[in-house]
Amino acid sequence: MTKDKLKKEEPPHIHIGFDKNELMLKTFLMMSIIALASIIVMGLDALIHIMIALGTVLIVHSTIYSYQVWKDIEPTYRSPASPMVAGMIVGLAMPIAAPFEVTAGVALLTILGFKYGQGKYFKRKYLNPAAASKVILLLVLSLKTLNEGLLFHTHHIDLDLMTATGLQSSMWIFSRETLPIIGFDLSPAQSLFLWQTHGWIGGASSIVVLIVGAIAAYWLRYKWRIIVSTLVTMTILAAGMGIYLNGDPILRIAFHVFTGSLIFLAFFMATEPQSTPMTNYGQYMFGFFLASLTFGLQLLNVLGGSIIALVILNVFTDQFDKIVIKKPYGHKGVKK
Amino acid sequence: MTTPKHFEEKGRFQMDISMKMGAEKKPFKILKPPKKAIVFMQQHIGKCNLPTVNEGEKVITGQKIGDAEGKMTVPVHSPITGVVEGIRKVYHPVLNCPDTAVIIRQEGEEGLMPLPSFDLNDRNEIIELTREAGIVGMGGAAFPTHVKLACKGVDTFIVNAKESDPNLVCDVRLMIEKPREVVSGIKLMAKALGARRIVFATRTHKGELPELEKIMKEGGIEVKRVRPSYSVGSEKLLVEELLGREVPSGTFPPDIGVVVNNISTAYALYKAAHLKEPVISRGMSFYSDKNGIENVWFRTGTMVGEVLGSLGYDIRKFDRLIIGSLMMGWSIPSSETPLLKYSAGLTALSPEYPKPYEKQLPCIRCGYCDSVCPVDIYPSLIMKEDKEKDVKALRRLKVMDCIECGLCSYVCPSHIRLTKHLWGGKRKAKRP
Repeated sequence: MTKDKLKKEEPPHIHIGFDKNELMLKTFLMMSIIALASIIVMGLDALIHIMIALGTVLIVHSTIYSYQVWKDIEPTYRSPASPMVAGMIVGLAMPIAAPFEVTAGVALLTILGFKYGQGKYFKRKYLNPAAASKVILLLVLSLKTLNEGLLFHTHHIDLDLMTATGLQSSMWIFSRETLPIIGFDLSPAQSLFLWQTHGWIGGASSIVVLIVGAIAAYWLRYKWRIIVSTLVTMTILAAGMGIYLNGDPILRIAFHVFTGSLIFLAFFMATEPQSTPMTNYGQYMFGFFLASLTFGLQLLNVLGGSIIALVILNVFTDQFDKIVIKKPYGHKGVKK
Repeated sequence: MTTPKHFEEKGRFQMDISMKMGAEKKPFKILKPPKKAIVFMQQHIGKCNLPTVNEGEKVITGQKIGDAEGKMTVPVHSPITGVVEGIRKVYHPVLNCPDTAVIIRQEGEEGLMPLPSFDLNDRNEIIELTREAGIVGMGGAAFPTHVKLACKGVDTFIVNAKESDPNLVCDVRLMIEKPREVVSGIKLMAKALGARRIVFATRTHKGELPELEKIMKEGGIEVKRVRPSYSVGSEKLLVEELLGREVPSGTFPPDIGVVVNNISTAYALYKAAHLKEPVISRGMSFYSDKNGIENVWFRTGTMVGEVLGSLGYDIRKFDRLIIGSLMMGWSIPSSETPLLKYSAGLTALSPEYPKPYEKQLPCIRCGYCDSVCPVDIYPSLIMKEDKEKDVKALRRLKVMDCIECGLCSYVCPSHIRLTKHLWGGKRKAKRP
């Protein structure tokens, strides 16, 4: 008999055939569409930022992978798909005005410190790698600003988002945009939604992020409750603030929801699986607090409010998972 | 039959069931009685039987060879005529450890020791017949059928012909080959239960089983077509799907006035009542990745190797043999392992067949397992708590409500066998 040759295995013995690398590659593909839109809107600089970020992570990944293979260690990432996603996120999460070497630095910190490092020393990514790296950059920037005797970064020093007129006058940066080919002049709100040349590279066209993000979230089953909760909360807060201050609620919504930092972050960073809650209610709460905290930090003129909010909430992910557990079958109430 | 290519699960996940396609057209191949039968004393949920025969004793096909006292006991019968070669511990494919079995060597002329006569108009006698015939849930649950039939206050009796597993079709085949017999068994069950409503749950489409449907209609049996989904085949979920009633956690369908029985179980009762034959044989689907599905009628206690040999397969070409289906069956360490009365499937996989769980990656917390879970628990969080041995957290996460369907593992992009942690979690949560 063939006693010795048979393998003992538990069920199941079949698999759907979709794996982590495929998930990462498809995510990368979707983000590439956003990257293309950003390059069209923002130009060559956007391409350079993205290529620098991608190049940095790929060099680091290839070096570590080669070392692990050489030393006969099980490679942390067999495929470059996951590092490529991290690189693309870094590229798209950088402000277009950032120096290229800063992008390279953030990408290096992301891949080395928060992707490989977190996984190795904490067995899991508790913080979103790109967000955590950017927070470190912001800390350095803030220290520099404080050292110069300023409370806010020079980019944000004149912003006054606590009044209707303050917001209106701060919008000069989003005015004077014209849609190419058709030559349509855009209002700041329209610019924020369609075509913005200021801010995050990934948020150059909010409408593209919305469409591509929604398709990706459906197709790849992202944690959509976080996206919905974040965007809905931010919309309500912005509209409420606009009405309360007798200002333009549409402009408020456009500013708070469609600045690149929030719209891109909501779809592609706040849904990063490892650092976000698993439970349905936990995800709704996470999105609610992410939007609320971001809104608060934006009103206070804090540079990188959404990124800081995300990293703070990442820390509490496990607590969110404990808040409310959905009722399983058998606990929903007997229907006789 | 228009078998769909996929089952649709929660979270928009699909399960490939293309291997079922056309397999129901293949008639049962009736295998010869084995030269040696290994009959386990434990082939039901409940108290284990004790052998009622001794080593060296002659036995006849259908003779009771193991029984015990108590409500949750079901006797076992000899599947062949021969001599008791020994009574010893043999690896049990479901208990996953050695267990007592009576080993019978075929000898002499084949005969049948018929079951005693019972009054089929008397509820109690039908229940007694069910027990005496050794009938258990033939879909794989092995719950003593007489215990189910003895339930009082049952208003609805569901016949589960859903057959959800991706590589099993033997129930549909049985409906094609033995429609009248199946309905006869269903009616006997309904009589014992006193159920006003009989619902026949099937995944077949209207007109695909014309004869059976005609007989059902004549007999006042309601035919309900269940949506193509793997998880709906589970007893509790089927009750909710068909009747909109939830079976509360920690209880069973009879507690809410519903009894569910498998179609093969109904056929076994027909055989016991009208042919006076206890459960000594049954139909199953044999699936190999090389040749697809074949339907086989075998004697219980037949060794897996002998089944494969009878079907003309070279056992050396396979490296995994599984009693049951691809989703829920356990692989066995030896081809000398016997089939049980509740073995609805046998699966043989060659070394070329993928081993999807061989290289597991760390959990990425994508939540796919949570989305697909048909009972709405959180397999990924349970896995974490199982590893940390946090019993309180496991209970809070309602691990005991897991139906062990395996869908969480099936969709995991990190190829983690989460099911293992759900079993582990259940064991830990059960402890006082």
